[in-house]
Amino acid sequence: MIRLENVSYAIESRELVSGVSLRVGAGEFAALAGENGAGKTTLLKLVMGLIKPTGGDILVGGASTRGLRVSVMARTVGYLFQNPDRQLFGATVRQELAFGLDFLGVAKDEADRRVGETLDLLKLDPDRAPTSLSRGERQRVALASLFVRRPRILLLDEPTTGLDYRECVQMMETVSRLNREDGVTVLMVTHDMEVALDFAPRMLALSGGKLLADGPTRGLMRDEALLKRASLVPAQMVALARRLGIAPGEADDALSLAAWVERRAGVNAKGGMPDAGRP
Amino acid sequence: MDSLILLEGVSFRYEGAGSRALDDVRLSIAPGEFVGVIGPAGAGKTTLAHTLSGVVPHVRRGDFYGSARVAGLDTVTASVVELSKTVGCVFQDVESQFVTTMVEDEVLFALENFDVPRDEIPARVDRALADLNITDLRSRGISTLSGGQKQKVALAAALALAPSALVLDEATGELDPASSVQVFGLLSQLRRERGTTIIVIEQKIMLLCAYADRLLVMDQGRVVIDGPVRRTLEQPDRLLSLGVNCPRVTTLAARLREKELYHGPPPINLDEAETMVREAMA
Repeated sequence: MIRLENVSYAIESRELVSGVSLRVGAGEFAALAGENGAGKTTLLKLVMGLIKPTGGDILVGGASTRGLRVSVMARTVGYLFQNPDRQLFGATVRQELAFGLDFLGVAKDEADRRVGETLDLLKLDPDRAPTSLSRGERQRVALASLFVRRPRILLLDEPTTGLDYRECVQMMETVSRLNREDGVTVLMVTHDMEVALDFAPRMLALSGGKLLADGPTRGLMRDEALLKRASLVPAQMVALARRLGIAPGEADDALSLAAWVERRAGVNAKGGMPDAGRP
Repeated sequence: MDSLILLEGVSFRYEGAGSRALDDVRLSIAPGEFVGVIGPAGAGKTTLAHTLSGVVPHVRRGDFYGSARVAGLDTVTASVVELSKTVGCVFQDVESQFVTTMVEDEVLFALENFDVPRDEIPARVDRALADLNITDLRSRGISTLSGGQKQKVALAAALALAPSALVLDEATGELDPASSVQVFGLLSQLRRERGTTIIVIEQKIMLLCAYADRLLVMDQGRVVIDGPVRRTLEQPDRLLSLGVNCPRVTTLAARLREKELYHGPPPINLDEAETMVREAMA
């Protein structure tokens, strides 16, 4: 679905992305993490075709982004800016959603149907002005305005930054549902390691413009040397599991950790009474 | 101890707004306290920060009731400039705070304009840039930086001034995870070494709980919970009903309590969580 082949991007002789090669398959959900200035947003913009690589090539759905106009890319790829206000301009939520479809030349009946479906799916009030909504709600309107176009790929730049807990959960559950039920491919820049662990099975770690690691999120969060190099901190339960010597993947959240503790407590209790249960 | 910050019955309604952004807020913060502030969007957290900096009611106008004093200054009669010598603020939207175009100039600007002795300035700039690990960005144009790097510059500029109180309003949102931890560590150090009062408005509940000693939960313009971090975490259901999550270690403690494997207070950091688990297994 997304293929980067030895991609570099330089501006004013400073290389922001260097020699990155990776593939993200259809229906995958991958997190893109790394230190400030690592090149995460630049990489996302490259995939969207907002900027073109100065070296290597990027294929999205088999076509090189070099020759594609962003307006064509927008038919299959949705890009969520970190700041939703960069992409909202409609007077009402309904207008915001309808605009993109009108732009793509979708027939009015079909457009109305899709707008209605998306409003329901994302639980949005069509008559509100986007400017009157909270940041989390504006973020979801921005996501809705992308989703109404039925993209096959979502590129999300820190979608939960600045959101409160409820807004964060709503945002991520919506994205997760689009990924799970509709097979939308998601590439998400995030600094929130709890969100990465909860939603993205795969993590790409970037540092100094280079791809340092690419693998299962749970596994990479155990890699001390990688975490240090990419300025990452493991999710809290992963860090605790590691301290307790629990094997990777065995218990990485509060629920499974509690069950693990319960089993161990049971074993220890039996260990304290060697004859317990024996004939 | 006398309060550094004292709010008595403070209410504020923005011009043209229907409801109050702050509603009868009573708050006393002593010098050297590290206070975390959390709550859902629209709870009044930023308005509280603006009240301490004088932006409310001097810049963001509206109806102000009650009394707010910071280091003895009445925020309604003192000017924003006077207040800014005591309270350093960093807000989420750093772009709107920059007054220069270069990283070094941004840190210098405040020092040169706040009567800092000339011979002290170079060392202060060096220290602030080093503290935020951005010495290598010194000669960069601010517009060429990433969002997280810009936040570090804004934090460095505020730290360099060594104010009596620092207010961070979601100022670490774009920082990478290691930098967020580092900034909280720096704040702790400032509090320890200089007695700086720290007020951090954040959604990162795990960091707040690990570093702050007091937690304020705001909702609909009011401070609805105000107490030591651990005591606040003892009411996870109430927090959740206010749209505030608990750290995962606290959730784990609740699960172990349900299984009657743990009976102690909720842990607030990894060290305590590890001790809790080892005790539960013993």
